[in-house]
Amino acid sequence: MSPNDGQAMRSAAPEGQIMRSLSDVVQERGPSLPAANVAGKGVQIRKLNAYYGAHQALEDIDFDINPGVVTAIIGPSGCGKSTMIRCINRMHEVVKGATVKGSVLVDGRDIYASDANPTRIRRNIGMVFQKPNPFPTRSIYENVITGLRLNMKRKPKREYDEVVEKSLRAVALWDEVKDKLHASGTALSGGQQQRLCIARAIAIEPEILLLDEPASALDPTATMKIEDLLFELKTRYTIVLVTHNMQQAARASDITAFFLADERHIGHLVESGPTRQIFMTPTDKRTEDYISGRLG
Amino acid sequence: MQARIHFIEELTRLNHDILTMGTKVEENFRKAIEALKTRDPELARDAKAGDALVNALQLKIEDQAAALIATQQPVAHDLRELVAVFKVTHNLERAGDHAAHLAKLAIKFQEEPAFRQIEKLEEMVDRCCAMIRGTVDAYLNNDTAKAREVAKMDNEIDRLNKEVVKDVIELIRERPEQVDRATRLLTNSGYLERVGDHMTNICEAVIFMVEGEHVELND
Repeated sequence: MSPNDGQAMRSAAPEGQIMRSLSDVVQERGPSLPAANVAGKGVQIRKLNAYYGAHQALEDIDFDINPGVVTAIIGPSGCGKSTMIRCINRMHEVVKGATVKGSVLVDGRDIYASDANPTRIRRNIGMVFQKPNPFPTRSIYENVITGLRLNMKRKPKREYDEVVEKSLRAVALWDEVKDKLHASGTALSGGQQQRLCIARAIAIEPEILLLDEPASALDPTATMKIEDLLFELKTRYTIVLVTHNMQQAARASDITAFFLADERHIGHLVESGPTRQIFMTPTDKRTEDYISGRLG
Repeated sequence: MQARIHFIEELTRLNHDILTMGTKVEENFRKAIEALKTRDPELARDAKAGDALVNALQLKIEDQAAALIATQQPVAHDLRELVAVFKVTHNLERAGDHAAHLAKLAIKFQEEPAFRQIEKLEEMVDRCCAMIRGTVDAYLNNDTAKAREVAKMDNEIDRLNKEVVKDVIELIRERPEQVDRATRLLTNSGYLERVGDHMTNICEAVIFMVEGEHVELND
């Protein structure tokens, strides 16, 4: 917007009227809506309830996750944010006694439908955890193609080579490791190991990438690299980022969802919206209190 | 236990300085108009010197606000409040400059005979001081109703300015040799009119701080 446009807007606004709200600015300038040419699949969460045995962890979550943007889930410990993303790839039910009610639609299909195949679903949804966890006995090269080897038919070595280079380039690790592809993954720094784990997750070309506190064990430089990487990857994958670090959510995400447990210790979605709006003008006082450090 | 005690204490200290700054600007206006009325160059010099404190407070408050942004990562209302701080200090500082201009006029006019526009100027200064006090109160109390109410006082200052302009033009017609004096009066009346605009800017900043919306209070 040029200064002249602003002038025109000022003079056109009637006295006492709102000239423009912050949400207008967010809509104009914020990258909250996906670009037209993005890959990745949308996720619609409907009436989702998650339980660990008799304890309910999440109640009636309704929430859309769009492709082409990074969606951050924030909230204090115990609010159910990790449970939330583990419901998106059916990892929640891996815990003994854990159950789910409601639906999660990925590209319109309910992953909790009776005929859905959990293994196939997990194959299409990559996940990266808090602590970098490369397979310690495997080389960098083998770490990247592990998922491919487990999930798909054997391919010629040339194809694996291509996937390894493409995946490592995508996470900006190729130049750092191209001369030691057959060294152990654990020989890398923490930040490099985490990028290796992201490379491993995207090597299988998932539709969705879930990251659970991916930078919490990393130093600031490595954290910034991961955040830059999310910016690069979001046009190719639907990205959901769970983070304790509100500044990270503010910096790296386009949409932020705030979860909070109620007095019964059951997690709820308090509000979600464009990250700039959530951090500038949240609508719910509980969100304001949390992001301002006055709660939890 | 209340969270972010350090941040809240720092913000309280900063707001205390804003109150001091607003009070000082108001005090400088009171001294300047009194000096002009009573032909008291000492009081006028006192008012003029007071502007240095206003300027120093602006820098101190803005440094504090920048440090809080850098170290405390404020968001939502906290962030909007710190954004508003810069608008409050900037506009108070400009108002302070106009108090200093009025003090300079009092020094200039110390040997001059009485003039009939002094009453209107005094009325304008009264309104300006009420606006300064009101806007600072509205800011400190997050009071948007007060901000909207105070902004309306600007219309009264505008009206008085127009009356002074009309009066002074008449004076120039009647006594062209008084043009130098008349021009100084016109300029200062214009400055007082600008004080109303600066306070209106602060009222708009208060509404942004509390409601997150940009509003235009006076056209």
